[in-house]
Amino acid sequence: MNNNIFKVARFEIVRQLKKPAFWAATLLIPLLIGVIYLISFISAQSVDTEVHFDEDTKVTITDEAGILADGTPFVVDVDKNDGIEMVKNGETDLYFYIPADFAESKKAEFYHISEGLEIFNNDGEILKMILSQNSAMRVDALDVVALTGDYEIIDNKLAKDGAESNALGKAIIPFAIGIVFFMFVALCGNRFLLTVVEEKENRISEMILTSISAKHLIIGKIIALLALGVVQIMALVIPVLILVFAKRDDALIAPILSIIEIDPVVIMLSVLLFMASAVFYAGVCVFVGSLVSTARDASSFIGPAIIAMVFPLYFMQMFMVEPNFIVQFFTYFPLSAPIALMLRSGFGTISTPEFCVGIAVVIVFAVLAIYLAVKTFQKNAINFNVVKPKWFRKH
Amino acid sequence: MVEVNHFKMAFEGKVVIEDLSFTVEKGEIFGLLGANGSGKTTTIRALLGLYQPTSGELLINGKKYNPEDTSVTVGYLPEERGLYRKETVIDTMVYFGDLKGVNNPREWSKKYLERVGLSDKIDEKVEKLSGGQQQKIQLGITIMGDPKLLILDEPTKGFDPMNRRLLMEIIEELHKKGTSIIMITHYMDEVERLCDRILLLKDGIACAYGTIAEVKKEFDGKSLDQIFVDTYGESYE
Repeated sequence: MNNNIFKVARFEIVRQLKKPAFWAATLLIPLLIGVIYLISFISAQSVDTEVHFDEDTKVTITDEAGILADGTPFVVDVDKNDGIEMVKNGETDLYFYIPADFAESKKAEFYHISEGLEIFNNDGEILKMILSQNSAMRVDALDVVALTGDYEIIDNKLAKDGAESNALGKAIIPFAIGIVFFMFVALCGNRFLLTVVEEKENRISEMILTSISAKHLIIGKIIALLALGVVQIMALVIPVLILVFAKRDDALIAPILSIIEIDPVVIMLSVLLFMASAVFYAGVCVFVGSLVSTARDASSFIGPAIIAMVFPLYFMQMFMVEPNFIVQFFTYFPLSAPIALMLRSGFGTISTPEFCVGIAVVIVFAVLAIYLAVKTFQKNAINFNVVKPKWFRKH
Repeated sequence: MVEVNHFKMAFEGKVVIEDLSFTVEKGEIFGLLGANGSGKTTTIRALLGLYQPTSGELLINGKKYNPEDTSVTVGYLPEERGLYRKETVIDTMVYFGDLKGVNNPREWSKKYLERVGLSDKIDEKVEKLSGGQQQKIQLGITIMGDPKLLILDEPTKGFDPMNRRLLMEIIEELHKKGTSIIMITHYMDEVERLCDRILLLKDGIACAYGTIAEVKKEFDGKSLDQIFVDTYGESYE
């Protein structure tokens, strides 16, 4: 690395680390976001605790244990493999298998076609409802298990092609990376934007540009900003990881940990996307900062870019299913590409080659944004009253 | 040391410098004079690569200026001055010293601050200093590392007489060490006292160029003040 880039980066990092505001943002914003997430999670859970049983839903039960009373609806004389085939063929929507050793194992199995993430899907509870209402009432160990509800229903999601599916497990890490990116943007956005405005507002640009090239100044600043962003993210992620590890046997956390599916290719691509997106975002902010002469102007200019960036979130439903034209557009439009790619990766609606092309788009535009930031800063750095576009002057 | 050949500068089609050529010799103090808007600062900015000339070449030691080329050290005190307001005096000076490749910038800064009577402000934030104190810091940053070429754009602007005297002393010291100095100023007494040669600009055109004696001779022995007034006449705002 050029020595001057390192000097700029070091100066910017040290001065930010010395600021109480930096640490306040580092500690308070994640806390606030955590509280908001917790509230939304609790409210979502409270809404979805009831069993939703659509009358059109086709249910099939194999009762090898003989726990259900004669005439209980849905009970069919098929073996487990046939039941699973029925799910795959679409002959039934939900298939429950109650094994012969149910009283001892206290485990029933549930098969259905995965409809995506199904975070709050509780179709498995239908079996509990049926068991509690239709047990044979022989007052034996089976009934005790059935009536007390002291058993586990193992959820086996099947993909549409019939293979076993773990959409939620696969989505956890890509979505976690997406959330980290979102927090990165929230924490660092303002700093990215104002980093070069400061030089202009304080009339330092002329002195600094006769000591260091604009290219090295901008690159040094971006490196510092990214490093500071990493510090802030680490201050958030490390306590969360410690908490998860400490509570790994907790009833709420253990099931999530047990289903996490680690796909090295997806994780590697997600991390690469995160890094490219962070650099791209930094480049865009620095470019906007180079265009204007005051912090207020910078905030007005960045608004549309931020809206374009988070726009895919408003079309989240579309990202869960087969991508249509709008999803494809968001995937390859540079400003929306980072979040669109993260969503599609999380929902499992993007192929590896498509993912790679999307990342390449972000990388190319990250380089372009930095190039434009350097050129614009060179041009505007000593224009302390930067000429604003006509449409902007009206405001 | 400095060569400007057929320099032309236009902004959005408006020509502000028209075919300007001059040289600054090694070790001399060169006065760049002219009214506001005559093109002095534009010439300096183009010389330092802050503006791209429309045509012509501006060279320092035979090369286009590159701030990271350590073979040519330039100290520049611009007309538009500022510092990192939220940083301490010492951190600011050390940062610029680092960028300029000054050996042990902390030690250099401490000695300078002591000399200009600001050693008690070393850990103060820049924004806490008075305007005059901030100008001393800027001057310190400009002369850090004994530059081979010193460019001062209206260096005494806003200085009180004490600071002005201090600045003059520093300029003379650097001159004795062999530093070439380009000075933009409106104070003709400073020019007469310090400058070896001058260039008088009007609307981007050189109206007078040479030693002070040569220029005076060309204008019938008039004082520099009078030459300035005669050159601009009623057009001077």
